[in-house]
Amino acid sequence: MIDGFKHSQFAHCESGVVSTLLTHYGLKISEPMAFGITSTLSFVFLPIVKLNNMPLIAYRDLPKNIVKNIEKVLGVKVFKKQYKDILEANLELTRLVEDEKKLVGLQTSVFYLPYMPENMRFHFNAHNLLVYGKSGKNYKVSDPVFEDVVECSEKDLTTARFAKGVFSPKGFIYYPTYIPTNIDYTFILKKAIRKNAKSMLTPFPFAGVKGMRRLAKSIEKLQNNKDVRYVKNYLTHVVRMQEEIGTGGGGFRFLYAAFLQEAKAYELDKDKLQKASELITEAGDTLRLFALKCVESAKKIEKLNAKEISEILVKASIFEEEAFKILKNI
Amino acid sequence: MKKIEVPQENNSTLNGQRKVMYGTNESGEFQRINYASSVEEFATITAVEEYHELEKECLEEIKNDISSPIKYFMYKNRMDLPTLSSVVDMFSFRVKRHLKMKHFRKLNDKILQKYALGFNIKIEELKDFKI
Repeated sequence: MIDGFKHSQFAHCESGVVSTLLTHYGLKISEPMAFGITSTLSFVFLPIVKLNNMPLIAYRDLPKNIVKNIEKVLGVKVFKKQYKDILEANLELTRLVEDEKKLVGLQTSVFYLPYMPENMRFHFNAHNLLVYGKSGKNYKVSDPVFEDVVECSEKDLTTARFAKGVFSPKGFIYYPTYIPTNIDYTFILKKAIRKNAKSMLTPFPFAGVKGMRRLAKSIEKLQNNKDVRYVKNYLTHVVRMQEEIGTGGGGFRFLYAAFLQEAKAYELDKDKLQKASELITEAGDTLRLFALKCVESAKKIEKLNAKEISEILVKASIFEEEAFKILKNI
Repeated sequence: MKKIEVPQENNSTLNGQRKVMYGTNESGEFQRINYASSVEEFATITAVEEYHELEKECLEEIKNDISSPIKYFMYKNRMDLPTLSSVVDMFSFRVKRHLKMKHFRKLNDKILQKYALGFNIKIEELKDFKI
């Protein structure tokens, strides 16, 4: 057991884990901050990449983006390791939490975690959690999307750490080893916000606000699709990618809006931050309406009005475009 | 600051757990708030049911000697072809063949064992698959 460790529940697994880890090792940083300074807000729609025969849609940057970038951005040092040998990975984890009393982050697959509700278990390989101790053959796990701590057997956790497929974790483990003292937040925030604005306003047609519009177009095309089952699965797939993987896509927008509010504490243009934060909150709300409409249509396909749904998504993209145009030169 | 509505509906897929999202309090500050959304519930259940549907269809195909039990277990484990290929460490064109009954019958124990391991079942469950 690690002294002074307190479990908290977060909106998103990776930013939650990184926030808890850094705070535990002496650098107090909130979840929105961890999310924002690593410029993680994103949108990607890649129709050629298929997951269960559905296009890839993501509302934030690639998994591991936060763990990787937090080092660069803050100047902290993070021990990161992937393993070839399953036994070694497990022995090392035991040594770290039992002997060295370290709090560590792990990347796992949701499907193999026995404490996950049955209906939530899909092959999503980039779920992050914390291990804070061991009793007998069970690890003590602090899963950031759960209300309370849980236990997970050595065997199951190892399976989850070595799941195969896209983003396979290969036993990925991480914890901070060095925390710098003087951090110039104003400079860091400015850079991170600008970077995020650039990525959201990219001319690449499958990412950022343009990607959102591309997805809107492909939804519009569903109107003439006669395959009812496909349309239903498509619409709910969009919602699942938005609302479930990590936190909601609407949720990611609120997380970023919270980050912009927090950034007001530093020497940055407060009016711009306020305005952008409001716009991104609007975008988040619009995305939630979009999800609601998708689900309503999936329930009653005969009433599908694809044009209406796609227009809501376009509206959300306009809010985001406006917000990031303000933020571009903060 | 606009007030963010936090849904307090029912989401049976979380077995009583509630997730958190960022919402605003009376003074407009952001904070974490527990929520449960029926929109999410429906989307999750649709995805789970799709797998059940695929399993059922597959059983029909197995009866008609078209598909193999490997395909059934693939769906039962909520996998798609790329995931299964990665789990058993074989090229997907090979795995695709194994999903067909006529190729499945010719598989040796070594290959079947790989699949059994991937699905966490006994090799007999594949060999003596009964509907």
